[in-house]
Formats: sequence, structure tokens, C-alpha cells
Amino acid sequence: MLAQARGVGKTFRSGTIEATVLKNVWLEVRTGELALLMGPSGSGKTTLLCVLSGLLRPTTGEVDLCGVPISRLPDRTAGEVRRRNVGFVFQTYNLFPALSALDNVAEVLALKGMALDQARSVARSSLVRVGLADRLEHRPGELSGGERQRVAIARALAGDPSLIFGDEPTAALDRQTGLEVVELLKNQVNEGRGVLLVTHDVRLMQFADRVIEIEDGQIVRDEAVRSAAARTQAGAL
Amino acid sequence: MRRIAIRSILFDRGKLIASLLGVALASTLGFVQIGLYEGFVRSSSTVIDHVGGDIWVMPRGLNVIDYSQIVSAGPRSLLLSHPCVADVRGLLYGFSWVQRPSGTRSTAIVVAVEPRPGRRVPWGDIVGDVADLDQPLRVSVDRTDLEKLELPAQALGRNFEINSLKVTVGAVTDGIRSFTLNPYIFTSMTNGRRLLGLSENEVMYYVVDLVDRQCAPDLVRWMKRYPDIQLLDSATWSRATQDYWVGGSGAGSALAFTAILGLFVGGVIVGQTLYSMAKEHLLELATLKALGARPMELAGFVLWQVAFLGAVGVVSGFSLALVLRHQLYRVGLTVVVSTGTVGLSVVATLFMCILASITSLSAVFRVEAAKVLR
Repeated sequence: MLAQARGVGKTFRSGTIEATVLKNVWLEVRTGELALLMGPSGSGKTTLLCVLSGLLRPTTGEVDLCGVPISRLPDRTAGEVRRRNVGFVFQTYNLFPALSALDNVAEVLALKGMALDQARSVARSSLVRVGLADRLEHRPGELSGGERQRVAIARALAGDPSLIFGDEPTAALDRQTGLEVVELLKNQVNEGRGVLLVTHDVRLMQFADRVIEIEDGQIVRDEAVRSAAARTQAGAL
Repeated sequence: MRRIAIRSILFDRGKLIASLLGVALASTLGFVQIGLYEGFVRSSSTVIDHVGGDIWVMPRGLNVIDYSQIVSAGPRSLLLSHPCVADVRGLLYGFSWVQRPSGTRSTAIVVAVEPRPGRRVPWGDIVGDVADLDQPLRVSVDRTDLEKLELPAQALGRNFEINSLKVTVGAVTDGIRSFTLNPYIFTSMTNGRRLLGLSENEVMYYVVDLVDRQCAPDLVRWMKRYPDIQLLDSATWSRATQDYWVGGSGAGSALAFTAILGLFVGGVIVGQTLYSMAKEHLLELATLKALGARPMELAGFVLWQVAFLGAVGVVSGFSLALVLRHQLYRVGLTVVVSTGTVGLSVVATLFMCILASITSLSAVFRVEAAKVLR
């Protein structure tokens, strides 16, 4: 089990105003699968991703991340758990504009304690793996949106994480590029690794092993996408 | 984080130039103002510091060398009778009228001291021969005062009047300036007495060299037979004169205020740059935090940038200050460059940079990792 939410609730408070965004969520993210977390805007998808990754603390319930009860840990320790086990891919890439693609990946590895030479070597391999062998020294401003997202994926993969969280990773990309990016993420799933993507895009279901739907802060559907036909149907949408 | 921080600041040339200019100019101002302050301090007591001696003897109540008064010959013999006294030198130091070649008048300070081996007065680079000052009515003038005295650049052998006596320039000193801007005119004791209208044996100060400095308190007690004189050790006397001119005139405060103002303006420029850099990169920093970067690693983004700006700014500022120092010297202002003044300027500039980084550090420490997912 890579991540597990048990009875998780999350309420935001601002003065006297309270907003309950998650209500009694039970969820598991497993190795060997790409899961999609879908739902309308404001349904609580991103908040759930934050809680599962330890970026936010749940108001009620418990969260385990890679076997560690992360919701009970102080922020610093939760950060260490993410540092070792988690990769992120974001809608807006969040790359350092001054750094080349290679350095955007390598510097994160260096931050994780890897020697720079080794970090650059691993980063190079990671970028080659996502098809950017000829873009290593380009800065984000010199890359297309799809290429930037590939750099972000390479950055997420470089630390060899067990779990990759993605928040609308295709939202800023055109249809074809978006599908290529998710296919790339799908290819990273293996026996020791899982991927959880937050998305609105039903076309991504063709790559999903599981679809989780959330509405008004509650899981309303959590089922495996078993048939290839269903995937094909989704792909045709 | 060092590479990310420095490459990020190098990447944004506009911000880099603005902030480097801010640090460099603030630093230059710091170097120049602190150096000028030190220059003023040293110039106010330059005669005391260069004449040396262990103890200065003067009329009681005197607190600055420039307001000299005549001391009688009596104390000299008593001083010499003390077993700890190695030597007593009389010193003349008095204002006099100068009549320039054009006929206009101004004031100058005539200085003469009885010679002592190893203590050459006047000091420094000298054009001409100091021994010539023993010739009748031969004096030295300073290079920086030539214009004021209406003398040409080649002043040796030229004449002007001091207290209606025609004197001849026998030597030209370089950079011996008074805090009061009155030209220093060095000459022999005999000439000095003539120019100041003193009788033989009259002096303004006695400069005493001791066999052993530990004897100073005993000498002070010894000299109580002359209640109208006071004895001060050289360091105290020098400090009293410095305090009188630099502290009392407000010149020190004015220079310090300008330096602080410069550092403040530089600090605002650097602070704004660092803050906007940090704000621009908050999303990337939040990403690093989400990936597990520790708060101090994130703080490194700001700290490395401020260290870079501080180091490059200080070096640039110092280089610019050296150029300015040369220019200022030509107009007669001394900017002292010493370990102390450079150290103080560097510390002040770096302190300014650190203060300027506080808001950026605060923004970085407060960055929420969850921001990246909102």
C-alpha cells in the first residue's frame, strides 16, 4: 500500500467561516496501478491529494504514506517521508527558469543528498527516458509545454519514488501532448510504484487502472477499469 | 541550493544590475564616508601623532591643540630634573596671519618642534630639504595648500608673508592638512618664535619622552608644583583633540548620517530585489518544499543570493571607492583606507544585505508546500 486514507475529513476555517472539503474519505493507492482521481471543480480532489501526500494535515482521520502515519508527524518529518518516497507533477510544471532541463532535475537530486556528478548522470538518464535527450541543456523558456511537462516528470522520476502524485498534469497541454504525457506516466508504473493523478479529463481513463470519483468531499465511486473496451471507449471520447 | 540561487539571480539581468548597483553604491558610500571620517579624525590630531612623545605639558584646562597658549620656561628644568625623563622638546603651535602674493590675508598654523633623532617633522613625502628650514625665515608649505596660499606648483624658493615677515618656501610637504583647513607652516624653532612673536625660551607645549612609561603618574605628581599646567599622555591628548573637532563640530555625525542613509537606500534596493526574486520563485520553492526540501535549504535560496550580491557589491564598491579616493585626494580630502575602515565598511554593507533579506527569508519560510497544488 502506497497511500491510505482512513476516515479522513478536512475542514478549513477562516475566522468564523468553516468549509468542510473532505468528509470521511477512505481510500487506498496501490503499487502497480495508475489511478485517476476525478470529480467536478470544488469537489475536494486537490485537497485530498494534499492530505494524502502530507502537504496538508487532515482535520479528522489518519493518513499513511508509504507505510508511515504521516498525518501524525510534524511537518519536517513528513517532508523527509516525501523526500524519500514521493514525486510530484504539476499543471504549471514549476521549473526554475534559470536552470537547464538537466539542472532542473539534477538540482532536486542534489537537494536529496546526491553528489552533483551522480545527480547529473541520473538526471540525464531520466530525461532520456522521457524523450528529451536532445533538450538537456535547454531552459524551460526554450521548451514547449509538453517538453516542460516531460522535464517535470523526469524530475519526479529521478529520485526513484514509490508514488507519483500528479495534479492536472495535462490541463495546460494540447490533446495529443496530454495523452503522450499520461502514457509516459503510465509507463512508469510497475510493481514497486504507483501513480495517482487528479484530472478532469475523461480521455485519460484509457490509461487508468482505477478511477476514483469524488463529489462534495466524499468518494462516490472507486473501481478498477478492467476492460480494455472501457479504456478504448474512454479513449474515443 | 547555491547553484539554483545564483543562477536565478544571474538569469534576471535587470534585477541583478539594479541590486548590484544598490549594494556597490551603498558600499562605496560606506567606504568613502568611513574613510573620510577616519581622515578627519587623523587630520585633527596629526601633529600630536607625528611629533610623538610620551607626555605633553600644556596650560591647565586646554582641551585641543589648536587653542595653544604660551608656557613659561620654568617647567622645563623641573621636568628634566625628574629621573624618568629622557628628553624634553619644546613645541610651537600658533595661528598667524598670512599675506598672499595678491595682497589678501588668511590664517595659517605655524608649527616648530625641537628636533629629536628618529622623529622627522614635518613628515611624509617632501620636496626640498627639511634641513633648509633652519635657514632664516625658511618654511614648508603643503602641496594641498598651494592654491590657498596662491603659490605655484613649483613653490620652492617662492615668497609670501607671515605676520608681515617675508618667508621663503624651503620644502613642500604632501598631505599634511589641518582639520581646520588652515595651512600648516613648518619651520625651525628660531623661525617659529620670530613668526609668532615669541621671546626666547617661550613655547606652547613641552613634549616629554620618558625612560619608562610607568613613571608617568609619578611625573604628574612631581609637576604639581606648577598648578597652572597639566600633563597628558600623547594618546589622551590626541583623543581629546579628535573629540573636540570631529565630535564637537558635528562633522562626524554628518558623515555617519550620510553613510547610514546610503546603507539604508542600498538596503531598500537590495531588499526589494531579493523580495521580488523570492516572490517570483515561490512556486518553485514550494515545489522543492513539497519534494521534501528543508526550511533551511529553502532559506539558502535567499541567503546565497544575498551573499553573492554582498560579495560582488562590496568588491565593486571598494574598487569604486579607491577611484574616488584618488580623486578626493587631489582636492585635498583624505579617505583613509585601513584594515579598520575597510573592515567596518564591509561589515556595515553585509549587515545591510542581511537586514535586506529578512522579508524575503520570511516569505520563503512561510511558503506552503500545498501552494503548488492550489
